Amino acid sequence: MSYIIAGFILLALLCFVLLTAYRAWKYSRLPLHARLELYPVPKEGGGRARYGGSYYEESKWWSKPRTLSKANETKDILMEMLFIRKLFDNNKGLWWVSYVFHIGIYCLFAWTVMLLVSTIWPLDVHIYTAAIAGMAGYCLATLGALGLLIRRIFDTDLRSYTTPVEYFNLILILLVLISGIISWLFVCTPFFAASQILFFTGLALSPIIYIHLALLGIMLIYIPASKMSHYVGKFFAFHKVLWDNDPNSKGSQVNLHLQKAAKAAQTQKPEWLAPHTGMVAPATEQIPTSSERGNEP
Amino acid sequence: MSAAHNKLKPQNIARSAMILSPVEQLAPLPAPYDTCDKVPEFTELKPDWIDTRCASLDGFVAIDSLRRPASPEDEEEFVRSFIVAVGKLFAHHNSKFLRPLNLTVDYCAKCDTCSQACHVYQATCKQDIYRPIYRSEVLRRIYKKHYTTSGKLLGSFVGAGIDLTWESIARLAELAYRCNLCRRCAQVCPLGLDNGMLAREIRKLFSQEMGIAPSAIHEKGSMLHLNVGSTTGLTRPALLDTIEFLEEDMSELTGRKVRFPIDKEGADVLLLHNAGEFLTWPENPTAFAILFDEAGIDWTLSSESLGYDGVNYGLWYDDTQARKIALTHAGIAKKLGVSRIVIGECGHAHKALAVSANRMTSEVGVPVESNISVLAELVREGRLVFDSSKNDFPIALHDPCNVVRQMGIVKPQRDILKAIAPQFLELTPEGVNNYCCGGGSGFALMHSGNFEDFKVKVCARTKFTQIIDAFGKDFIDPALPKYVCAPCSNCKGTMRDLFKHYKTTATYQVHYGGLVELMVNALASTKTPYLEFLQ
Repeated sequence: MSYIIAGFILLALLCFVLLTAYRAWKYSRLPLHARLELYPVPKEGGGRARYGGSYYEESKWWSKPRTLSKANETKDILMEMLFIRKLFDNNKGLWWVSYVFHIGIYCLFAWTVMLLVSTIWPLDVHIYTAAIAGMAGYCLATLGALGLLIRRIFDTDLRSYTTPVEYFNLILILLVLISGIISWLFVCTPFFAASQILFFTGLALSPIIYIHLALLGIMLIYIPASKMSHYVGKFFAFHKVLWDNDPNSKGSQVNLHLQKAAKAAQTQKPEWLAPHTGMVAPATEQIPTSSERGNEP
Repeated sequence: MSAAHNKLKPQNIARSAMILSPVEQLAPLPAPYDTCDKVPEFTELKPDWIDTRCASLDGFVAIDSLRRPASPEDEEEFVRSFIVAVGKLFAHHNSKFLRPLNLTVDYCAKCDTCSQACHVYQATCKQDIYRPIYRSEVLRRIYKKHYTTSGKLLGSFVGAGIDLTWESIARLAELAYRCNLCRRCAQVCPLGLDNGMLAREIRKLFSQEMGIAPSAIHEKGSMLHLNVGSTTGLTRPALLDTIEFLEEDMSELTGRKVRFPIDKEGADVLLLHNAGEFLTWPENPTAFAILFDEAGIDWTLSSESLGYDGVNYGLWYDDTQARKIALTHAGIAKKLGVSRIVIGECGHAHKALAVSANRMTSEVGVPVESNISVLAELVREGRLVFDSSKNDFPIALHDPCNVVRQMGIVKPQRDILKAIAPQFLELTPEGVNNYCCGGGSGFALMHSGNFEDFKVKVCARTKFTQIIDAFGKDFIDPALPKYVCAPCSNCKGTMRDLFKHYKTTATYQVHYGGLVELMVNALASTKTPYLEFLQ
């Protein structure tokens, strides 16, 4: 049994990574989209990002070098990742629970890494770091997930839009967290279980640990297939849509993409049925220009 | 407001009701309008409109061309056609929107942050159907049920399914026209998702597959534009007459030679106006002519079909129309051999030609820019000389969504106003966080049935509040002229209707207009006031 669960959890970890990568690959393969940027666009340089300006503020913008700030863009996405700033700015009530939950998840990631490190290299500093990250992670993530679930149940605005699967997602996370807390507090240390899994030592573990690890494995495989993989979506939504204001200029990446899209469109014609969609633009009239009329050039 | 109306779930869009969610309460306006609309009164629809159109969403009708089916077979065909259209939205037919569309459909966390940013939702005291996520969730549920494996297998567990009837589908179509597409909701989304874009996608599937769109923006809008040359119905001969008249009339009025170069081959600038300006606010294109002449810019107008009307209504509801119009504009500039296209004071024309058209084809055409950036440079270089004391009255700046939030032109108009307006005021919030005027996405032009009431009393409500607050105690002083600077034809159209409804100009002397009129009024070389209310 322990061999099976050890194999399953390692496979689940691999699936999590591969399925996440597959999801990202699918979004990256979609055709170049229409421009839908919204300002502020943080990569706009020259201080423009601060107030939401763009290169369009310059007359003859196409003839001037673009000032871009990769540092500012990185800072902005880090603020989102570390502090969920948009939610803080616009929905503080929800931010508290969401932030507690997400910080808990980050701590649990750190805990997982440190657990592996301390299993292979059991220095005190590694073990203490793992223990602190684990305790903080379990406490914060559980509190946050509970808060999110309670909020979703009792806030009528949120409840109206919440589907059963969205409750299921939160309940699954809570089950994983609570079974983990019971396992590591009352049954055995996570260091012991980690060494069992990592080295396939085959010793018997308590049933609650089997349950915890099975649930964890299921969750790891399920996350990339669910909307809980919004860590992928968020990257594309910000970097590739809202912050993508790159113009189509000669030799640009945008231009190359558009040329490819034009070729693809020759074989895959979009056919909408409304009669006007098949109409071609009227041929422009042959209005004489000023030189043809004999006016000043 | 009754709880039944205010607590509607997405699936309730199919609920049987004469009116699903009537507007029964409006957010209060500041003084002196604080006693208005306590019990909102809206124009009653004619009985035949109720019988033949879809008035069952909230009692308003935006899509005058959407008619009830004559038979059960017609209804069945309508439903079938709608389901096909939803599928096309998520297929190669819609390749330019697949990424943002899928992201929004896949990842919405239903946190409701977007609702707090929506002026329509706030103006109706938080009526459920106007939440940005309401219409998105309806589409999401329909798509899931018919086009995803999880939806087909697990149904309502994964939130798939809405009862599809003519009524529920028509309500969704109407609901897509309760959003100004200002995309303020997308700006605050913690996941970067775009319910504003999704509202347009819903409009699009109805238009491109089922031929359903408000006649003001389709038959009398983009179709008229493509067939006649302008959405105003202005033909080339009529344009030339109008310009000739303007040259004479404005030269007489301003005491300076006003001229409009037409079809000048090889000019530096092709100036593309919203043709509505020539007919409704002729002082606007005239102001451009005066400023460009004074600054020595080599410019021209086009008299070619579409070339004298820079609007692009396709931007609001139909990619195929948007493409035809934008590419025709680009072709006209190329044929004239101009170095650049400068867009006049029309917000959506900015977005259509400078931003959206930029990725419609791989061809890199004549570059496009905003008049605001050009004028700001002229001011900065001292090529226009002003006496700002001529504009010494409170002037509040409105930021058109298409120019500011969606194009990032924020500072140049402020630099200009600082040079010409000693009493320049900001609305709150301003810049990229500003609110829509209420007329965005075609609402400024939609007057059929009782839709005008929805626009003026609901959509423009937050903007009106911002304006009243910006002028503070000066607002009620009828002796003091005040000016809302709205450098966008659509926004001006909304201000016109708003100020007329609340008698704002007549009672409190609050005027509206563009930026260029203020600039001409402040020109040191201008001998008489250019603004009519100062004459």
